[in-house]
Amino acid sequence: MIAAWPLTLALWRRSLNEVTRVRGALLPATIAPLVFLLGMSGQFGSLTDLEGFPTDSYLSWIVPLSCLQGAGFAGAATGVNLARDIEQGWFDRMLVSPVPRGVLILGPILGAVSRAMVPVTVVLIVGLAIGAELTGGVLGVVSLYVASAGFCAVAALFGVFVAVTLRTQQAGPLMQQGVFLGVFLSTAYTPEVLLRGWLADVAHLNPATQILEFGRQATVEGIEPSFASTWPGLAALAGLGLALGSLAMFGLHRMNR
Amino acid sequence: MLDYALVGRVLVALSRRSVSTQFRRAQLVMPTFVLPLMLMAVITSGTGAARDLPGYPTVDSYLSFIIAGSIIQGALLAGLTTGIALASDIESGFFDRLLAAPVPRSTLVLGRLSGTVVLGVIQSAFFLAVAFVFGASYPGGPLAILATICLAALTAAGIGGLAAAIALRTGSLSLMQSIFPFVFVLLFTAPAFFPRELLTDTLRDVAVYNPLTYVVEGARGLLGGNRELGDPWLGLAAAVGLLIATTVLATAALQERLRRT
Amino acid sequence: MSSPAVSVESLVREFKGGIRAVDGLDLQVEEGEIYGFLGPNGAGKTTTVRILTTLLRPTSGSARVAGHDVVSEADKVRRSIGVALQEAAIDPLMTGRELLQMQGALHGLKRPAARERGTTLLERVGLVEAADRRVGGYSGGMRRRLDLALALVHRPDVLFLDEPTTGLDITSRTALWREVRALNDEGTTVFLTTQYLEEAEQLADRVGIIAGGGLVAEGTPADLKGRVGKPTVHVLVGSAEAAARARTALGRLGEVQAEDRAIPGLVALPAPDGNGSLAPVVRVLDEEHIEVESIEVKSPTLDDVFLAVTGSKLEGADGA
Repeated sequence: MIAAWPLTLALWRRSLNEVTRVRGALLPATIAPLVFLLGMSGQFGSLTDLEGFPTDSYLSWIVPLSCLQGAGFAGAATGVNLARDIEQGWFDRMLVSPVPRGVLILGPILGAVSRAMVPVTVVLIVGLAIGAELTGGVLGVVSLYVASAGFCAVAALFGVFVAVTLRTQQAGPLMQQGVFLGVFLSTAYTPEVLLRGWLADVAHLNPATQILEFGRQATVEGIEPSFASTWPGLAALAGLGLALGSLAMFGLHRMNR
Repeated sequence: MLDYALVGRVLVALSRRSVSTQFRRAQLVMPTFVLPLMLMAVITSGTGAARDLPGYPTVDSYLSFIIAGSIIQGALLAGLTTGIALASDIESGFFDRLLAAPVPRSTLVLGRLSGTVVLGVIQSAFFLAVAFVFGASYPGGPLAILATICLAALTAAGIGGLAAAIALRTGSLSLMQSIFPFVFVLLFTAPAFFPRELLTDTLRDVAVYNPLTYVVEGARGLLGGNRELGDPWLGLAAAVGLLIATTVLATAALQERLRRT
Repeated sequence: MSSPAVSVESLVREFKGGIRAVDGLDLQVEEGEIYGFLGPNGAGKTTTVRILTTLLRPTSGSARVAGHDVVSEADKVRRSIGVALQEAAIDPLMTGRELLQMQGALHGLKRPAARERGTTLLERVGLVEAADRRVGGYSGGMRRRLDLALALVHRPDVLFLDEPTTGLDITSRTALWREVRALNDEGTTVFLTTQYLEEAEQLADRVGIIAGGGLVAEGTPADLKGRVGKPTVHVLVGSAEAAARARTALGRLGEVQAEDRAIPGLVALPAPDGNGSLAPVVRVLDEEHIEVESIEVKSPTLDDVFLAVTGSKLEGADGA
């Protein structure tokens, strides 16, 4: 039986090389959510004047979204890197080794979650520095990090599934746009009560809405840290993880067909 | 003595290549055609309640207000992908093949920018059509629509010039790809999706200095048939000014590259 | 391992559009052999190797490596094989030493054992000095040597080398051949695909030629060459008139080949004694006062074998 944990650690370390050994690699991943944070809060800040908005601070509303966005893109990057490894033959080296297929992707997913903590932390710090409110205290911050880490892992599983199915770097935008859609087809801009048209229905069904609400316990005064605000988000993460993880494993096992 | 017929043929050939390769690479098609539409759909539905805000201008539909911002976003991304494609040519060595051809050096950049203009036209026409299908209306009429498409194409070329200048100076594909978020800085510091009056104070002050502010408002004024939404002539002046400035930058970057290599 | 190291029966692999990259392939490689697998681009070499290394499933037929079925016992096959594929699949951000340690981990070696094995292999392939440099800065030859070392970490029974010296200079190529021979002397079976005929002649105990997805010839290099033809004496004279006179004169030594319109000055006849056949030919030409530009004994090459069985030349025939 091949020892899974040492190998997982080795692959985790390797995936961190993408940022520790490539100068400036973390910059785009960190700057993008910051740009969205500042841009969206500047563009749509007046929305909090609408009745039904649970907070007066649009910045506070947007911070968790930007954290999830940054974490999601870090997860999608795992898929992009895997597609590159597949195209360039490196992944063949993994596939000819006598290692359980799941172990091959666990390390890179852990790497993605580690990497995601950088943009999440930067967004949170910058957001608080320019006026967002930390309404949820320590519990709220923990919720935000758990939601972000979970969303990153789910995005990574999605990226892996696309990578092992399409096996080309050209699928990179599909992974990134998939994550983008996942996070924005929700209560990204406004609470559910203010959504209009088709998006109201989609957001209601989208598990990302629950994950976002879970993370919003940190900064939105209308969402108190509580089990009631937590369990739907955790359930959404578990459900998505199970579904996308199954798809990823199915795709991995089919790679030699 | 410049052979204008030759220059014209070269420009057409390079422009054709520029447009066709755009549609053959998923990495370039998705950001330029799919992403702006996705964002438009999300913003329209997600922030539609904003029409109830005091001070929000009167428009036939929220989508009619948003579409101008989406068109300009598309133009920005079209311009950026121009730079990405050029950087890719430089890294792969294909640009050297072009340099070895007996054509005026400036055609190598102008050819690509011509392609960007064509792309801008296709893209903005596509967005306007899609938005129309989903309920947008254009009281400004067909001439206004054509004028908006021209404005978008000029803007795309303007941003393309900037992206080309960066690509020529750095020759780095990964750097060009990482510039992606900064495109949104240009977009968000203009009243792309919200009226200027309702932006936060800081953003409102910054928007005055962003040429895209005038382009977006100009497009909005054209499509809405209402100069209170924006002055089209100011928009045109901003787009042309941007194009001239960035073409100069790109030309200087090309000359510097030729001197260096 | 008492059974063949590699055993393939009626192997077929079909891709989308009905393309049969491998079409009814049968072959066997004995334990301890170096088997050269030759074929032009698109013949099915790489597809065959990918099936044997469990990277691809066959459409039908069977394949066994190191006694295990590549489909139902894929894991056991993976434990027994070492693989160096066509593109040296290495991570440019890692150092050589780190890659070897990771490879060790992939095969279940504990960290100290992996480290020690890595050091031994680095010495063996001559990469000790470069061991702690990032692989992205290695030359092509260094990458290939590292790729070989990576394939050997777990001491495989069967080593698959897919075009291991493509793109290398002659020094690097010769060094790699030396290493492959040494491995084989230690008992490792080697399945080598190559486009270079010289490589096959130098290394392989037996050669299989694949074309159109199937095996079209198989045997030792000497056997294969013998099937195609015997040595001939090639005489080059200055004119077509002189060639006609030489053809008539040499007719008493043996059956002279018909005129080659492309080379009017060429006269060829059998050389049953090899180089020993030169002297009588020279004597006859001298008696007839025919001036000779060049004279040599030519033996069939694997290229001739290839041409005879496939109808085309192999790409590396002149380039090796």
